[in-house]
Amino acid sequence: MSTILLIQSLIGGIIMGAVYALLGVGFSLTWGVMRVINIAHAAFGLLGAFIAYTFLKQLGIDPVVSLAFTVPFLFVAACLIYRLVISSVTRAKEVMISSMIITFGLAIILENVVLLVWGADPRLLTTWYTGKAFVVGPLYFQYSPLIGFFMAVFGVAVIHVFLKMTYTGKAVRAAWQQPDAAQLYGINLKRISTITFGLAVASAGAGGIGMALLYSFEPTSHNLWLVNLFLVVIVGGVGNVLGTAAAGLTIGVITGLSLAFLPYQWVNLVTFGLLMIILLIRPQGLFQSEV
Amino acid sequence: MIEGSRLKASGPATLALVVLMSAAVFPWLGPPVYFISFFYTIFMYICLASSWNMIGGYAGYISFGHVAFFGIGAYATALLMNVFHLSAVSTVLSSIPAGAVAAFVAVLVGYPCLRLRGPYFAVITLCFAFVVDLAVKNLPIVGGADGLWLKAMDLPIEISRAIMFELMLCLMAVTVLVSAKISYSRFGAGLRAIREDEEVAQTMAVNAPWLKIRAFALSAFFPGIAGGLHAYYLTYIHPDIVFDVNISILIVLMALFGGGGSWLGPVIGAAALSLVNELLSTFVKAELARIIYGSLFIIVIIFMPNGVIEFVGKMRKAHSAAAS
Repeated sequence: MSTILLIQSLIGGIIMGAVYALLGVGFSLTWGVMRVINIAHAAFGLLGAFIAYTFLKQLGIDPVVSLAFTVPFLFVAACLIYRLVISSVTRAKEVMISSMIITFGLAIILENVVLLVWGADPRLLTTWYTGKAFVVGPLYFQYSPLIGFFMAVFGVAVIHVFLKMTYTGKAVRAAWQQPDAAQLYGINLKRISTITFGLAVASAGAGGIGMALLYSFEPTSHNLWLVNLFLVVIVGGVGNVLGTAAAGLTIGVITGLSLAFLPYQWVNLVTFGLLMIILLIRPQGLFQSEV
Repeated sequence: MIEGSRLKASGPATLALVVLMSAAVFPWLGPPVYFISFFYTIFMYICLASSWNMIGGYAGYISFGHVAFFGIGAYATALLMNVFHLSAVSTVLSSIPAGAVAAFVAVLVGYPCLRLRGPYFAVITLCFAFVVDLAVKNLPIVGGADGLWLKAMDLPIEISRAIMFELMLCLMAVTVLVSAKISYSRFGAGLRAIREDEEVAQTMAVNAPWLKIRAFALSAFFPGIAGGLHAYYLTYIHPDIVFDVNISILIVLMALFGGGGSWLGPVIGAAALSLVNELLSTFVKAELARIIYGSLFIIVIIFMPNGVIEFVGKMRKAHSAAAS
């Protein structure tokens, strides 16, 4: 009995971890490539989840299908926000702190816009497959977390391939490793930064929908997501896509196991405590840092 | 107050003294209780923002978790009162040991955490505030999620509010005075050197770890006392109230809005934003008010990264008060 519970918690943890990885990849990229710590990242993810919710409720469009709208929308919105707001601090002496404060403001704005538009109630993405599951031996697999899982794996893979294979992706990596040299080779740093920020936020939207497939969400959910993002990104190494994925899975498993063994209200304490310990012991991350 | 006159400029010190004196008389002139409470809140935020500024402004270590010390002070006072069955007067006095408790916690937490810099320090302090909040909620000894009740004063509300007003006024005056003293001292110069470049400061024989921990403990001490007073003011405390992360954010915003480099910045910032806050919460929906607040963060960082004082100073093409 308890081994089955253990395996079930592990599976739940892995699914959650994968979604956190998708949510965290963009956060890691903007931090690593542009030294911009986007506190509003999880709030953008939440916005994606709420847009998907409206699509589902009003038009009956499946959350995965509505990605086709959410992702481009968030991409364009993020590019605009980058040009209007964020780019003014990227040349400041303390980019990270300035960007943190500026995006803190952005997160507050987003949260309250969501509150005004959708209200404070917790929401669920209830599709036709929600609550349905298939059973393999003693284990059961629910459909919507699985869809979230595959979406997350696919999303992280796409970003990884984009960075390794395409010209723009290579330019992003070059800009991260040697900004000045990259510019000498004709890479338009401002354009690359805008695209990176847009992509990061768009992937956050996908990650947010993934989260919404797993759990209920409300306008303040992004705060807790954000703490997990910090955890995932700092463990995985800032700017490291595969590290972020590995860290997501690790954190997911740890959270899954603590959910199995601890009362629910202590689980967050484990997460926060873990983050504090890792920050103190190894702030550069457990995996080697590279894009 | 005698200390105050030893500050560099005696003119402003006299002015400050006059302002403080007239403020102290105010609640006894029989104004509506609303105004007494309003000024009480302003004093509290000036105290909090000025304390935050000792580590966040002078040393450049941005703490997003300062509400933890406020809450620890509130809980320490409430527990002292409940355990020792203190009378009204001694409850108020017990906010001073509560400040010491907060400072002690700050030393324990600061010792490892102050090695982290920039965003890492900001994240870990935020985490710390969440951890304390969750721990208090889950520990039945300190009231858990039910909160704690404190005995109220057996006085009419005008009188009790006026007493709290005077106490908070005193605390604010002391905090601002200490903050100003630090700003003009070798200690403050050392902290500024750390903000500019910690490595260079250390090679110039600035004992950075020691200065940082002292500044951090001091910046926790006054919020601890403020928390103790506020607990008694509220007569009921709950983790959601005294560990509210929005207070942390508000403190940071106030100090940065006024300008973290000088002692006057947080005073101006806290007074201005408390006023804005009050107006917004009276006339605008809460969500909209917070949207305006969020926009303020962005505007402050983009247009006046050194605070409103320096911004105004630059506008007037004069030497800013913050540059000393």
